[in-house]
Amino acid sequence: MPRYAMALDLERCTGCHACSVACKVENQVPLGNFRTKVYYYDEGRFPQTRRLFLPVVCMQCADAPCLRACPNKAISRGNDLIVRIDQNACRGNGACEDACPYGAIYVDPQRNLADKCDFCSHRLEAGMEPACVETCPGGTIIFGDLNDPKSPISQFQATHRRELTVLKPEEKADPQVQYRGLTRELERKVPKGRNHDPRSYEIETWATLEASFDRPEGGSHE
Amino acid sequence: MSKQLQALEVNRRGALKVGIGALASLAVGETILLHPGEAAAQPARPPRRPNVRGTPKVPHNYKRARKITSVCLNCSTVCGIVGYVDNGKLIKIGGNPEDPNNGKMLCAKGQAGVVISTYPERLLYPLKRVGRRGQGTWRRITWEEAYADIAKRVRACIDAGHPEHVAIHIGRSRLADIMGRFLNAIGSPVLLNHRALCSLNKRAANYATIGDVDWESVDAERCKYLLNFGSNFYEAHQGAIHFLKRVIKGRYDNGCKLVTFDVRLSNTAGRSDEWHAPFPGTEGAVALALANTIVADGNFDRDFMTTWTNTTVDALSAFLKPYTPEWAEKLSGISAGDIRRIARAFIRERPRCAAFTNRGSHAHYNGFNNDRAVILLNALAGSINQPGGYCYAESAEIPDHLFPMPAPVPAAPKIRTDLEDPPEWPLANRWQKMRVGQIVYAYLKQKRARLQVYFTYTLASPTTWPEGRSLAVEVLRDEKLIPFHVCSDVVYSETAHYADLILPDATYLERWGLDARNNYELRTYATLRQPLVPPPAECVNFADVLIQVGKRLGPEVSRYFDFRNYEDFVRLRCRQLPKGDSADGFAYMKRHGVYHNTSEPRSYDLFKRPLTKAQLDGSRTDPQTGIISKRNARGVEEAIGITMNAQALRGFKTPSRKFEVHSQTVAQAAARVKIDDDGWPHYVPIPAHQNLPEDRFILTTFKWNVHTQGRTAPQKYLTEIVHDNPMWINAATARRLGIRTGDTVEVTTYRPRGRTFDPTGQRIGSARIRAFVTEGIHPRVFAVSNSLGHLFGGRSAAARRGPRAEGPGFDPKILSEDADLTTNLWWSQADGGKGAGFNVNAILPIQPAPITGMQAWFDTVCSIRKV
Repeated sequence: MPRYAMALDLERCTGCHACSVACKVENQVPLGNFRTKVYYYDEGRFPQTRRLFLPVVCMQCADAPCLRACPNKAISRGNDLIVRIDQNACRGNGACEDACPYGAIYVDPQRNLADKCDFCSHRLEAGMEPACVETCPGGTIIFGDLNDPKSPISQFQATHRRELTVLKPEEKADPQVQYRGLTRELERKVPKGRNHDPRSYEIETWATLEASFDRPEGGSHE
Repeated sequence: MSKQLQALEVNRRGALKVGIGALASLAVGETILLHPGEAAAQPARPPRRPNVRGTPKVPHNYKRARKITSVCLNCSTVCGIVGYVDNGKLIKIGGNPEDPNNGKMLCAKGQAGVVISTYPERLLYPLKRVGRRGQGTWRRITWEEAYADIAKRVRACIDAGHPEHVAIHIGRSRLADIMGRFLNAIGSPVLLNHRALCSLNKRAANYATIGDVDWESVDAERCKYLLNFGSNFYEAHQGAIHFLKRVIKGRYDNGCKLVTFDVRLSNTAGRSDEWHAPFPGTEGAVALALANTIVADGNFDRDFMTTWTNTTVDALSAFLKPYTPEWAEKLSGISAGDIRRIARAFIRERPRCAAFTNRGSHAHYNGFNNDRAVILLNALAGSINQPGGYCYAESAEIPDHLFPMPAPVPAAPKIRTDLEDPPEWPLANRWQKMRVGQIVYAYLKQKRARLQVYFTYTLASPTTWPEGRSLAVEVLRDEKLIPFHVCSDVVYSETAHYADLILPDATYLERWGLDARNNYELRTYATLRQPLVPPPAECVNFADVLIQVGKRLGPEVSRYFDFRNYEDFVRLRCRQLPKGDSADGFAYMKRHGVYHNTSEPRSYDLFKRPLTKAQLDGSRTDPQTGIISKRNARGVEEAIGITMNAQALRGFKTPSRKFEVHSQTVAQAAARVKIDDDGWPHYVPIPAHQNLPEDRFILTTFKWNVHTQGRTAPQKYLTEIVHDNPMWINAATARRLGIRTGDTVEVTTYRPRGRTFDPTGQRIGSARIRAFVTEGIHPRVFAVSNSLGHLFGGRSAAARRGPRAEGPGFDPKILSEDADLTTNLWWSQADGGKGAGFNVNAILPIQPAPITGMQAWFDTVCSIRKV
């Protein structure tokens, strides 16, 4: 049984959104919802300005808040370390969406099912890489089987072990997706709960570190 | 539905169908009204439905899906793709691992293109205008009627002795082979394009200086220092992904530095090791000052400069003398200290360093010389065609010797017209027919040229042209100036709205074609575009339209179209290609999607390659210059190389066969239009920017990483990310003017001055737009992206959520409705979203740069007022 893991090497990210769009096509994600999202932040004063990017996927937490929150026990963590939602057990309750510290879950409005990144499990079964990994022009997203010392993720971890960190460790969810080159403040861009608000336009949030549409836990859709 | 629409429907007693959605169910002979619709007001988001069993989705089945190679055309980068087709449906697109440029990688646009085949608002049948042009009433006709109508009108032009009254005007077509053949066969030279709105100055600078190619392939993987003048290759450069992935490797695996000059913090600028924001159009001044420092220091490749350029170090030194860093600082705002530091850091890495450009440097009044000055830095570094340097392969186009045109090949006509060869810009057509596309509508209005039949293809001039919504639309609307307009398009666009015949096009996922661009592996290569899925309903590739019309124009024309269709034509072009592991060359291309000759050495030192015996046979050498020349197949003597240290070498494809710092070609062209130019790449001040009052600013435009200029807005996953384009204003400037993000401002633009079109400095127009205050832009510059502000193009482009149209529906048997567009689309203003954005081109003046004709996009002077 492989043990899948992912790391994002942020210095290579170009903010191109290819991961996000590849994911939407791959996983038939409805408009207004994302499994993979890229946040921007412009840091510094002109002319010493630079742009930071933060691509966010499901962190495949070892102690997943979504899993704990689901009243229907529809969420489980496999031996391959992927956290999955069982489409047959899900009842569209949305508790998982509210509980996620990373805004990584949405409830599909047509299907009435919660959905999130599962490392493109159906592609893994077909011997392919996750859609975001395959397409990333910068080689930002490193993925593979931890059991295989030659896999890209094993090699990346071996080279950069001390530089790797996770998002929002204070949430104590034990996220398994790691980042290299993370600027700590950027975490604040990542909303808890819902990851998209139709009244917030991402471009206009580049100058701010706040997640402009953070919702309180247990809140409901308008 | 508006009262106007209701009235029309009543007037036509039910025979009139309304709206895009009605197209599919339109029977032959029925009439339809197409008009930008009104926003459908619906609740923002459905409430949660807890404890209701959901509808599981079925993941893509890759074990069952068929893989077909092809080539993306969602921008001009030419990325090899693999389409996965399951049960006749295209489910996903990935990169083609065999493509030498992009491999398995694709950008957001490449990924998003999968939806265009099934976009519910696609045009499905040929339509003929009923009523006034631009009124939006259409009658469905058969293809036979369409072909007969077109052929009759084209034939009339030929018979009247005026084949030049037939024009094809294209955007990003990638069908040059068949379009050129069609026009040559009928005798018209009027193939119009958009190159002068895109890349003319950059290409012209490469041609004038190096001569071999119009587009360099910087060897970024092996480079140690990249000096970037105005290219946003992290987002939008032609060849973006190809270059970007190599730059990332160069920077993070090889320690390469990236320094970017750009007035705006693009993603490229924002991720560079250094970002410098020069005053717009002073890039050439900075480049000359860098060269000045390098030459003054004496640390440069003296051997290359002496042997391989057409100037001497003394002459160059004298030319550069006035261009000091202090001089450049006054113009650009970049400090003299920074200029000296960058010059030394750059040259220290020679020859593993490269300086390159794109629109930020060249889309100016003085852009041609800006780019020539930048290219000169590579000569000083001796990095021309060296590993890690400023490289180019033998060709950046489809290699004709591998893909020859099927015989008989019609000869190019000898006539010229002001429309395709305006004499005011003598370099526009000097190296390739780049044209001056932005003056086409003005010249038609002035009657400097006449047209009878105007074909438009992948052309969005009402939205992407300067003064598009005013002048372009005015001329397109005028039935006297353009008596017959045939538009081939995928969706009902603003161009289609002003047509007489609309021909439903096949998308790039449904058609054939050969394609290529510069190969960063520096070898010969070409790609094949092939259908991943068949075109729906009656959609037909425009190439096949031209073939069908050609067949109907009598024997002297039809003999050039003696093949079944465009697929056949492409097959014939592949007939000499090595068959490799396949049955023949065409089968090889269909299997692999790409021909890449990996046995060929990379083109390093191309200019030093010796001429072969066969090449030298029958040649003569000029004893003075050492230039070797020979009669070509047409009997015209042309230079083929140069004698250097008693060796016959290839050299550069310039008149001197050397790297031309100084250009006699440029001096002569300038003299023809009475411009004083000594042929050196001097800094040319932009007339409209001189003595600019404090309350005047420069309005610049840019492209997003998820959009092209005008044709991606119907793609929902892209438009979801970017659909609105507020105007970027520097934070300090905004504070001074009392403007905050979200405020509405009124921006007023002015015409240019100097040697350009209508150089009066007069006001053009004003527009209201929301402000976006940022630390990422020069204090004297405002920026508004292009690509947005569409009135047509369906719900995604026009930001309208709801049912497909305000009409009688559509035929779900052909293209089914999409819940994303009916229900989930969230950027409609009626729902509180930001809407479809703003078309900035409408208030930008037509301003071709002197001598070359490149649109000076980034020079527009403007003023601003908080509303």
